[in-house]
Amino acid sequence: MRCKYACGSHESLTRRSFLGGTAAGALSMLGFGGMTQVEAAKKLASQQKQVVVFWLSGGVSQLETWDPKPGVETGGPFQAISTSAPGVQISELLPYTAQQMHHLALVRGINTKENDHGKGAYIMQTGRKKQPGFAYPYLGSTFSHHLAPPKSPLPGYISVGAGGSSAESTFLGPRHAPLVLSNGKAPSNLALHSSMTEDRDKLRRSLRHKFSQRFEQKRRTAHTEVYNQSFDQAAALMARSDIFDFSKFSDKDVERYGKHDFGRHCLMARQLIEKGVTFVKVGHTNYDTHSENFNFHIEQLGEFDKPFATFISDLYDRGLLDHTLIICMCEFGRTPRINQRVGRDHWGTAWSVALGGTGIKGGAVSGKTNETGTKVIDREVNGGHLFHTYYQAVGLDSTEEFYPNGQPIAKADPKAEPIKEILA
Amino acid sequence: MFRTNMCVYVLLLVIFLSHALVAQSLFAGPATTSELPLVAKKPALPVAKPLHQMIDQQIQQQHQDYDKLASVRCSDSEFLRRVTLDLTGRIPSIEQTRAFLTDKRPAKRTILVDQLLGSPEYARYISQQLDVILMERLRKKYIDVGAWEEFLRQSVAENKPLDQMVREILAADGSKKEEQAAARFYLARDGDVNELTRDISRIFLGADLTCAQCHDHPDVNDWKQDHYYGISAFLVRSFVFKDKKKKQTVFAEKAEGEVKFESVFEVRDKTSKGPETTLPVVFNGSKVPEPAFKKGEEYKVKPAKDVRPIPKYSRREQLGAALTSPQNRRFARTMANRLWAMMMGRGIVHPLDADHSENPPSHPELLETLTDQMIAHQFDLKWYLRELVLSETYQRSSANDLFNGKDAAELDDAKFTHAILKPLTPEQFAWAVLEATGQTAVYRNSLKKNLTEASLRKKLLNYERQFVSLFGGLPGKPAERFEATADQILYLSNNQAIQGILSARAGNTADRVLKFPVEQPEKAAAELYLSVLNRHPDQAETKEVASLLAGKTSKTRSELVSDLIWALVMSSEFRFNH
Repeated sequence: MRCKYACGSHESLTRRSFLGGTAAGALSMLGFGGMTQVEAAKKLASQQKQVVVFWLSGGVSQLETWDPKPGVETGGPFQAISTSAPGVQISELLPYTAQQMHHLALVRGINTKENDHGKGAYIMQTGRKKQPGFAYPYLGSTFSHHLAPPKSPLPGYISVGAGGSSAESTFLGPRHAPLVLSNGKAPSNLALHSSMTEDRDKLRRSLRHKFSQRFEQKRRTAHTEVYNQSFDQAAALMARSDIFDFSKFSDKDVERYGKHDFGRHCLMARQLIEKGVTFVKVGHTNYDTHSENFNFHIEQLGEFDKPFATFISDLYDRGLLDHTLIICMCEFGRTPRINQRVGRDHWGTAWSVALGGTGIKGGAVSGKTNETGTKVIDREVNGGHLFHTYYQAVGLDSTEEFYPNGQPIAKADPKAEPIKEILA
Repeated sequence: MFRTNMCVYVLLLVIFLSHALVAQSLFAGPATTSELPLVAKKPALPVAKPLHQMIDQQIQQQHQDYDKLASVRCSDSEFLRRVTLDLTGRIPSIEQTRAFLTDKRPAKRTILVDQLLGSPEYARYISQQLDVILMERLRKKYIDVGAWEEFLRQSVAENKPLDQMVREILAADGSKKEEQAAARFYLARDGDVNELTRDISRIFLGADLTCAQCHDHPDVNDWKQDHYYGISAFLVRSFVFKDKKKKQTVFAEKAEGEVKFESVFEVRDKTSKGPETTLPVVFNGSKVPEPAFKKGEEYKVKPAKDVRPIPKYSRREQLGAALTSPQNRRFARTMANRLWAMMMGRGIVHPLDADHSENPPSHPELLETLTDQMIAHQFDLKWYLRELVLSETYQRSSANDLFNGKDAAELDDAKFTHAILKPLTPEQFAWAVLEATGQTAVYRNSLKKNLTEASLRKKLLNYERQFVSLFGGLPGKPAERFEATADQILYLSNNQAIQGILSARAGNTADRVLKFPVEQPEKAAAELYLSVLNRHPDQAETKEVASLLAGKTSKTRSELVSDLIWALVMSSEFRFNH
């Protein structure tokens, strides 16, 4: 169901696609060769870095979250509150999150100069502006590629309630495309049919593989490659079906996280991280508040705040935060100007993102906007800076390059650098 | 219904294919009676080459190295499978396969094409594909989906001209019983003007104008905000009306209402001229003027509480005519391109809704020809599809030795040097699996005298639905690119519905294969390959099956045969129309 008040161009929100298919064009153009940096992958696997992205689609208001401006004409009705991080204030709409602020850092000086949903989402998830003729992989695929142990039976990138397109992995290949748990459910048909044995299943798969290879000899293989990989992925999922058993959450946990979809999705994300999945994206939607901005934010953030904070605190309690990077972001912020419908429109010019966990200096703040929030006045950064920061937070060198088909492609925008002041 | 040059062509066909045409009253009628003298009266009229020859000529001319790169003509079994899937949505049965492969008549491909085009399965399958184009798998809203599907199926069965079909759809407001189903196009979109504007321009005009709603398109210079609102102006007075008395929901219209638009960028820049308005207009065509009425005299039925207003002049009524008018070549061009992509695996303009000057067609001259011919043949769908599949371009093999070598990069799909592998549509995949496993045969046998396309489909509909839900994408966002996903594979591997049809059951594929004596494994191999892949196994493949079956008896043998069928059905040779 499309939001009535939204622009309608949320390309990435609802696409159902489950591990896999991909833009064959990109694949055939670039191939898979020459980019498995085995050494680096091994090293990282031993450190087990993981990443969770909270994607607030539609564009959450920075003024109602991370960069409140109470008392000015653009500030809206909400107050700022103190947090567990000394000197850092955030909106009163996030009281639980405020208690976890010592784990989080804020980047308040973002200027992506982009007010289109699709293009903004692209910048934030690839670290680049969209260019005709070339597709960068999304960060879920990138981190799956870098951080997931080679030959891991686990999918490297799982999206829970956040959609995701199979095209996200581009030249990194379908193995790193998102596994989308649509409606927040475990995949169906995970167990072998009762009439099947593992040996038989193995035999028929190997026959299938052989027949396919024979056929593919003289034919273009971009699509067939994807098709074959989906069989490997299905087999891998069957081997690790335990990660999708979401039936054992305690009543207490369900209570703590909230009995709504987002609460449940956060619980699922916690389990996936515990079981070792490298990258998890959790979605929360309906932030495109062109009208009734404040009511919508009361409602949406009211749902978001507690499970998000509980997730951070749980990860900390279980020792997972030490090696898990948390990023809370969206496609852009919202205009300081409040429009005639008491809404805020799209605003990529001065807005904020929150990060936490591994590699991040809890309680740190980078960047500053002016009094009314219309401009960045200190430490302006864009998607490229953020990408360098994510890379470095998990211990990767962000200045390296990919080599699809021998062409060097910088992993993060070479014109930008990491936001050092928030790195631990 | 047929133009003069078509009649000549039909006559030629009659000579070659008289027996195939017996079933084709459609072809036989005009060729033998009323329109015949017309040809004689106009001897000066140049008889144009059949379209399929023009296609080949123009495809080959476009690339100097075409001859060097092009694949050979495909084999009979490749052709049989491909064209049966493309025109009827399933693979051929083992009987049809055997018959075609042993048929020695030189014109057997053309004969086959005409048989397929005359089959009830053609109307079913092509109407399903039109449904996906028009409705993008949207769910039910107000209008019964079954009635809509039947409207489309009937339209294709009687070979209603495409432009007429579209005019009927765009004229339907759902108030009259006989055209209620056709109103699904509007009503399933809840009459939302922006959604309709976007979809009408994407589907019928090859232009995704979504971004031109708020400002001139940022990436496409050709597409202006005016284009968006020109189309939206046809619809802006219409709204969904729930008729409580008649207990039906219709797309009603008011007599007043203008679109008002301004660029969000100009407002921000403070350079705005203020809101603009436009009369209805399709792209760069002429604006549709409208009569002026005295105030108070605009309505046949005036608006009132719970009453459907009927204006004297309907803007929306003009939409179908304006869209399909000969002055608007974009419609014919878009339809020609969409149907081309359906058969050939790729549009000449590609993506299909990005037809603008910065994304030129791969074969501009050919696209012009297809558009001209589409108009000249009055949007004759069956004729057009027939011409496409009769071309050598369509009949090239999907295999090409160059794919192994360094020249592979030269084999760009856009050159149409080879048949592009087309992932089976969800409907095709479902029916192909049912045919290959012999599940269809089982039901054909059980229905006996009551066997019709419709009765058979009813029996197997649930399989089709499961495939569509897994392979069809989301409502409003049907799968366009090839998507192979783990949940699909898990279904195909572990679900009872698939596992159940693999094991032997009287008359199905496993049963037939198991009937061959143990000492005739080569016959078992042939039965397997002809049933599933519609071709004979080669020597190595026969040997492979024989060695797998060697020494296997009873349960083990039976299980192995089922597993072999599964492995063949899941192979990429099966998954793609090649």
